[in-house]
Amino acid sequence: MQLKISEYLKPEAIIMEIKAKEKIAAINEIVEHMVEHKLVSDGKEFIKALAKRENLESTGIGDGIAIPHARTNAVGDLILAFAHSPQGIDFSSIDGKPSHIIFLIASPENQKSEYIMALAKLSKLLRKHPVREMLRNAKDPEEILQIVRANEE
Amino acid sequence: MEFKRYLLVLTSETDQAILSTAVQLCKNSRAKLYVMFVIEPNRVSRLASLTHQKVKAIYDKTEENGWQLLYLVEDEAVENGIWTSLHLEEGNLLELTKRYAETYQIDALVIRKKDEAKNVFVSSSVPVIGL
Repeated sequence: MQLKISEYLKPEAIIMEIKAKEKIAAINEIVEHMVEHKLVSDGKEFIKALAKRENLESTGIGDGIAIPHARTNAVGDLILAFAHSPQGIDFSSIDGKPSHIIFLIASPENQKSEYIMALAKLSKLLRKHPVREMLRNAKDPEEILQIVRANEE
Repeated sequence: MEFKRYLLVLTSETDQAILSTAVQLCKNSRAKLYVMFVIEPNRVSRLASLTHQKVKAIYDKTEENGWQLLYLVEDEAVENGIWTSLHLEEGNLLELTKRYAETYQIDALVIRKKDEAKNVFVSSSVPVIGL
């Protein structure tokens, strides 16, 4: 199955400078932003699902990246959000470094294969150092989308 | 004897059956699960040569499959309330396994029998469960 992560990342789900300075506050801010833009119907349930997973693992995968994620029926379809933190946020990353790039992924409970594939494709994309640098230096949501589109395979 | 930290070692030759077994082992002893997928450059080159494909194409496919396996384990682990830590590495399986076992104070390794298990058995300082 071919899945393009750029097709699931909407410009309105992109935060160029997140205000929160710690993990749970950051997740709350991203989800509230998604609720405001009508990308998520049940924000409370969504946060609960994300927090449950954060308690059981570190979604900070290192190199300044965090990918909080969950399968929950609080969303109607596979969905991505992006947030940039210039100062960095402690996501208990495996390398101990703060996360500057945060991608949030969620899917309904019954879309497990798409969800796993999106996580895999995104993790692979973000392992590329130039991509991480470009995302950190991007000026607006359209540039973020262009970077993802141009570098995903 | 109860183990508190397992390291599940995965490669491109690992099948999914091993994932559930590792999760159940952790569930039974309320252990933490570290999962490492190893991309072995030698194996990638060999496969590229055998299949007449570009090394990069094989590498990319291996990496994506690796992440998929990692997130499949994680999804099942979270459903069972098990703490997990995911890692994708490139290099020598034996050396990486040894380094991870030391770094994360692993109590037992879980590895598919075919995946160099014999060598891991011989060199490992912790018990090895070959599935």
